[in-house]
Amino acid sequence: MMRKGLNSVVKVSISVLVVMGLLVAVSCKQSEEEETPPEVQKQHSPNTPVVSEKPDVPKVTPPPKEETEKAPEPVNKDANKSGLVPIPLELPKPMFVGTPQDTKVPNLEKLLGKPRPDFYAPAGVKNVAFEKPVSSTDEEPIIGEIEMITDGDKEAADGSYVELGPFKQSITVDLEDEYEIYAVVVWHYHKQAVVYFDVVVQVASDPDFISNVTTLFNNDIDNSVGQGVGKDKHYTETSEGKLIDAKGVKARYVRLYSQGNNSNDLNHYIEVEVFGKLPG
Amino acid sequence: MKWSKISVVLILAATIGAAVLRLPRLKQRPLHGDEAVHAFKFGELLEDGFYDYDPYEYHGPALNYLTLVTAWAARAQKFADLSETTLRIVPVFFGVLIVLLLLLMVDGLGRAGSVCAAVLTAVSPAMVYYSRYYIQEVLLVCFTFGVIVSGYRYTKNRNIGWILLAGVFLGLMHATKETCIIAFGSMLLALLLTLLVRGRQNGSVLNTVKAVKPSHLIAGLVAALVVSALFYSSFFSNPIGVLDSFRTYTTYLNRAGQNQLHIHPWHFYLKMLLYFKYGSGPVWSEALIVILAAVGFIIAIRGKGLAGVNFHLLRFIAFYTLLMTVVYSVVPYKTPWCLLGFLHGMILLAAVGAVGIIKAVPTVLPRLIIALLLLAASVHLCFQAYLANYKYYADSRNPYVYAHPTTDVFTITKRVEELAKVHPDGLSMPVQVICPGGDYWPLPWYFRRFDKVWWWSDIDKNIMPAPVIIASASMEPKLTEYFYLPPPGQKNLYIPLFDTYIELRPQVELRGYVTKDLSDSYDQYQSEKESSQSRSEK
Repeated sequence: MMRKGLNSVVKVSISVLVVMGLLVAVSCKQSEEEETPPEVQKQHSPNTPVVSEKPDVPKVTPPPKEETEKAPEPVNKDANKSGLVPIPLELPKPMFVGTPQDTKVPNLEKLLGKPRPDFYAPAGVKNVAFEKPVSSTDEEPIIGEIEMITDGDKEAADGSYVELGPFKQSITVDLEDEYEIYAVVVWHYHKQAVVYFDVVVQVASDPDFISNVTTLFNNDIDNSVGQGVGKDKHYTETSEGKLIDAKGVKARYVRLYSQGNNSNDLNHYIEVEVFGKLPG
Repeated sequence: MKWSKISVVLILAATIGAAVLRLPRLKQRPLHGDEAVHAFKFGELLEDGFYDYDPYEYHGPALNYLTLVTAWAARAQKFADLSETTLRIVPVFFGVLIVLLLLLMVDGLGRAGSVCAAVLTAVSPAMVYYSRYYIQEVLLVCFTFGVIVSGYRYTKNRNIGWILLAGVFLGLMHATKETCIIAFGSMLLALLLTLLVRGRQNGSVLNTVKAVKPSHLIAGLVAALVVSALFYSSFFSNPIGVLDSFRTYTTYLNRAGQNQLHIHPWHFYLKMLLYFKYGSGPVWSEALIVILAAVGFIIAIRGKGLAGVNFHLLRFIAFYTLLMTVVYSVVPYKTPWCLLGFLHGMILLAAVGAVGIIKAVPTVLPRLIIALLLLAASVHLCFQAYLANYKYYADSRNPYVYAHPTTDVFTITKRVEELAKVHPDGLSMPVQVICPGGDYWPLPWYFRRFDKVWWWSDIDKNIMPAPVIIASASMEPKLTEYFYLPPPGQKNLYIPLFDTYIELRPQVELRGYVTKDLSDSYDQYQSEKESSQSRSEK
């Protein structure tokens, strides 16, 4: 009895499979009709004389394969005049990459979508952190040396960044004198669109951050770093770095905290620049 | 009508419902980078007629070969002929098949249980979302379920046909994705645990094992090996692929611990299923399934409280689901679609849990109220599935949207296609796409009809700037230098290609540049078109 019931179930399943298969076939056929490549309309402005020379461009040309493709003309166009032929350049195929990184980070600042406007400061202001001593809570970085943070190299390439250990870490730059500070610019790591968590930037007059401590930036929304609840937004690292307005505060030491990023628990620094000048 | 026939009709209705939720607007969501990579790989198979398995990337060949069926049906001969529908119809088919396979589980999950499982599978937002995604995950879930269903049917009548079918599904699992090894291990361990429990209740484990004919077992394994070898050897044209299909595990085991981009905490999947809210988006939850699955797990382990079910099967599913959940949670490398493997097990258990709760209530009215509440919760799941697939389909506020391209890819494509209309070379118009690290996917899919696209990670100063350039925002300083590289008299003035801020993915900005000559040609073309239209209207 059970077997009989089961047989009918199997028959029904097969029938439904056949019907589904037919539906899929019909659906695909329809989609192909929808997907006809757009007609190439060869209409040009009067100023493009090349049109008449190339009357028939096929609607869909086969994608480039192994054969040598005609590249855009080489920079040295005079080579053609001397009877030389352009270097045969093979059209590059797209490079395969894995699943990209997700950036679901709460309280995230929208990217500007254009270059950051210039930041104006009094004449004489310069990067006073250049080649100044840096200390870190992680004295033995996983990658790089602490000194690289103020070496002026802002590239994202390997060999240009310092990787500090996981969780809460901080670095402190000793400017070796008290300056009027107008801006701090920090590059954590900008090879990918990364967001660093609990970024806190403080300045102070002493290395222990006891006197004249001023917090310039804080996006630690849950006070997990212990420097107070921050109201600043998370931001995505870009090659422009994060520019923080220091409003001319007087200080000798600059400290930056962070606590991992949206990829992993590690902390990175490419460069920190402090724009200021001696008072008076 | 008998209850068994009603169950069959209801499962078929759920299957149709699953198709209705999965089939519409397959072109609407931008192709994910991973989907585009698979599409490109499939394009190579379609055009070259050859698939070369790569043990370092792209997973198994099953998805590619199965897509040949829909490509042939759509009469697509080249990559450029393909459409989103041709690709995504493949996972849709297998997503629907998962529901249909429940017809063979009516006597295992119970009549009501199998209907509930069909409904929950049909409406689960995650199941619907990733059934419309051109990746391997839904195929893997379907083939895994095929193994369970065929294996279960074999235990009922010892017919060699079922064990051969189980072998075929095993082979297909292996040919689909490397993570099948997690399902294999979980199924094997779950089987052992089930047999141990059974042995304790009905005698020795050995007697149960002896009931399986060795010749049948060997036949099933041979079927699995043959199917897997067929796919990995590209149907005997690339024999090394079979060896590579095993060597690949060194790559994937390393990646599981090292790929920093997708390292997430152990509760990543469970949190996503239980409660998710991002920004101003709605609250998402498949907690109904998780909670009912916990109830179903208890029922399965206790082995009582439900009539018309096979508790051995239920225990197997319970152990399997638990193991899968633990392993996927422990592995640090996590991408949201990987949750489908254990979510499907949870759905089967949830169906049993739902029926168990209703039957535990002695009187009719409270039963009816509970049944209506469960129905309302299922309708809510269905509503979430609608939101996830047709409203928040590419929105980060949707938990299943992960590193997804924004709809700006349509703007980019439209703008470049417009310019091709006025360029003398049409679709052979040179285009340069420059993004460090090759971070331009899925654009190779959207530019598939253009045959002169330079895909660059950095500028090559040996090549003149193309009339249309799309690049990462970080490339702009280098580009301004590049634009003025040609000798005097041949320099083009470049202007922005887009009027608005354009993102490839959230926080990944792209900028476009076009030569002023080409842009002017398009403006001229547009104004001539508009004036001729207004003349014809008059």
